[in-house]
Amino acid sequence: MADRRGSGPRIAAAAAAIAAASAFGAASALDWPVFPQRIASTFGSPAAGRLVTGVHLASEGGLVKSSGDGELSFHLEEGRHPAGLPTPLGSLVVVEHGKDLAAVYAHLAPGTASTYLDSVQSGAILGRAGSSGWVEGSGALFEVFDRREGHWVNPLLLLPPLADDKPPIIRSLALSRAGTVNIVGTASRLPQGSYILSADIADPADSPWATGPLAPYQIRLAVDGVELTRKVFDVARGSGGELLFFSGEGLPSSALRTPEGRWIVAELLLPRGRISLELRVEDAAGNRRSSAWTVIVE
Amino acid sequence: MEETGKKRLVAILAILAGIAYFLVCAVPLPKELVLSPVWSTPLPPEQDGKALAASSGAATPRSAVGAIPFRIGRRFGYFTPDGELVFVATPAYGVALSPEAYAVYDRLSAGFTVASPSGAAIAKVDALGYPFFSASRRFVIGPDQAEVSELAADGRIAWTRRFGSIATAFSASPSLAVFGLLDGSIVGIDPAGKEVLSFAPGGSRIPGIYGVAVSPDGGIVAAISGLDRQRLVVMEKRVSAYRVAYHRWLDSDYRRPVDMAFTEEGDRLVFESPEGARAYEPSGRSGGREIVLASASPIGLGQTLRGGELLALVSGLSGEKRLVCASASGRIVVDAPLSATDAFVRASGDSIYIGADDRIARLDLREL
Repeated sequence: MADRRGSGPRIAAAAAAIAAASAFGAASALDWPVFPQRIASTFGSPAAGRLVTGVHLASEGGLVKSSGDGELSFHLEEGRHPAGLPTPLGSLVVVEHGKDLAAVYAHLAPGTASTYLDSVQSGAILGRAGSSGWVEGSGALFEVFDRREGHWVNPLLLLPPLADDKPPIIRSLALSRAGTVNIVGTASRLPQGSYILSADIADPADSPWATGPLAPYQIRLAVDGVELTRKVFDVARGSGGELLFFSGEGLPSSALRTPEGRWIVAELLLPRGRISLELRVEDAAGNRRSSAWTVIVE
Repeated sequence: MEETGKKRLVAILAILAGIAYFLVCAVPLPKELVLSPVWSTPLPPEQDGKALAASSGAATPRSAVGAIPFRIGRRFGYFTPDGELVFVATPAYGVALSPEAYAVYDRLSAGFTVASPSGAAIAKVDALGYPFFSASRRFVIGPDQAEVSELAADGRIAWTRRFGSIATAFSASPSLAVFGLLDGSIVGIDPAGKEVLSFAPGGSRIPGIYGVAVSPDGGIVAAISGLDRQRLVVMEKRVSAYRVAYHRWLDSDYRRPVDMAFTEEGDRLVFESPEGARAYEPSGRSGGREIVLASASPIGLGQTLRGGELLALVSGLSGEKRLVCASASGRIVVDAPLSATDAFVRASGDSIYIGADDRIARLDLREL
């Protein structure tokens, strides 16, 4: 398994937390809030009509513990907002872990949140896993917000590596144009032009909930041996009323998946000739899979 | 002789001044106000997912004209000013409620029906999330608590807005919907879905918005923000932009949503504080001062009586509450015990409608 924590994208407060953890010899910046770690959805996974900005950890009433030392900054009880604002995240607490990192522990069992805490020590009980609010199964949603950068950070970048040795599965690659979807391999000859390249990718980790497939951590596409696209599910931020995924300019979540549920990898202009496509996918635990195709463009 | 005349003149002037003072400057003693019971109606017990026309047991809802919405414990419904229960229901999960409409929704809500107080369907909505109604406007908040849509009258989505972090506070007027966010920012959206206010109060060690309130005309927005130290910020709309008109550090350390609201007249902001309910007048009558109205955990802020002359609220901890009416100057004119775990208060004209656990009552203010 490759350790990709702390590498690549600019995630200021999260990177600082990782660096601080490394300086003290810690394996990770934060610890798992729920044991055992049964991942129900990863950062970017489709759930409830949108893409998740944290990780859902399945648990039937297990303890939800603080991922690190910190300070409780906000708590909300399901259905108890004085202004009548509903609470789709159910009962939740927010803990400030170090400078500029705010962690949300949501969907706790009603009435179990440790609201009396101000100063929180790592491992302190914050509540019990539950199914309060809009969530398909019992567990806890763990989200990390980087206050300095103003974006959500993939919590798996900050947590100890998952014990998972199953690489993701690449089911198929598709090239779409003008409403026509060509699954690569079944239609190896295509007319030249501009195509949307999408892939059906799934992580074989068994989600205990009836949600969609888990999102991969990273998708890379090489065309004729040259890397064209690298999409890393590292951060997500709100901008202009939309949720943008990935570092840099980002892409709106609505532009990440096709209506059929394939991940949109790139928009390609395919000239005439034989073109080789290689897709490399990595999951949250660092397991990798790659597949290659050859397309003849006429 | 001349000395005696002067003394007489001074004495006469003093007497005249005294008479003039009593005639011109005297303030009459205020009349004593008492609460007079008008009616009291018992509520049926909670029954999951069932609606009851409680007053008569009839299956068909009563007339809902002018009905007042209420929510107490898990029950909700409408009653008329005359004490008739239009209906009472216990939703399986949640309800959005306003004087004009209600919508019951499930925990995994993918759609719901908006109904009038009499139960007639107004609109069918297909949207993931939970509805909430305020200021004659209808909204839906998405499953991740970071996306809000407003519904048109026919139930279609009029606009959708995604925030950068989760919504922690909310207030709406007919012209402005304001959301406070975990990241410490305030976002104001007009009925067309355009962002007309974006502001981060800052200044505290930990950012966050714990409460927001918008005046009925949308011209003033107030917020309680941050931790260490917590802050009250009041913004007023000047020309087309909102500018900070007042701010003050607070002694509070709330780490939960704070109750705050403008009065119906829009001239006072009432908010929770460790000392109890406080009122702040942005301008006008007392020039931006704050007063303490009542102690301990206030409920039902912003309810006014007698055209804004008095504020009514329920104050106190679970099981030991008090009904309090206070004047604009902070003078408590009514303070009555109220034994209830769950309570609500609505005020209109000279009438107070109060709910306490399993009973709703109307009390009228009368002068002795």
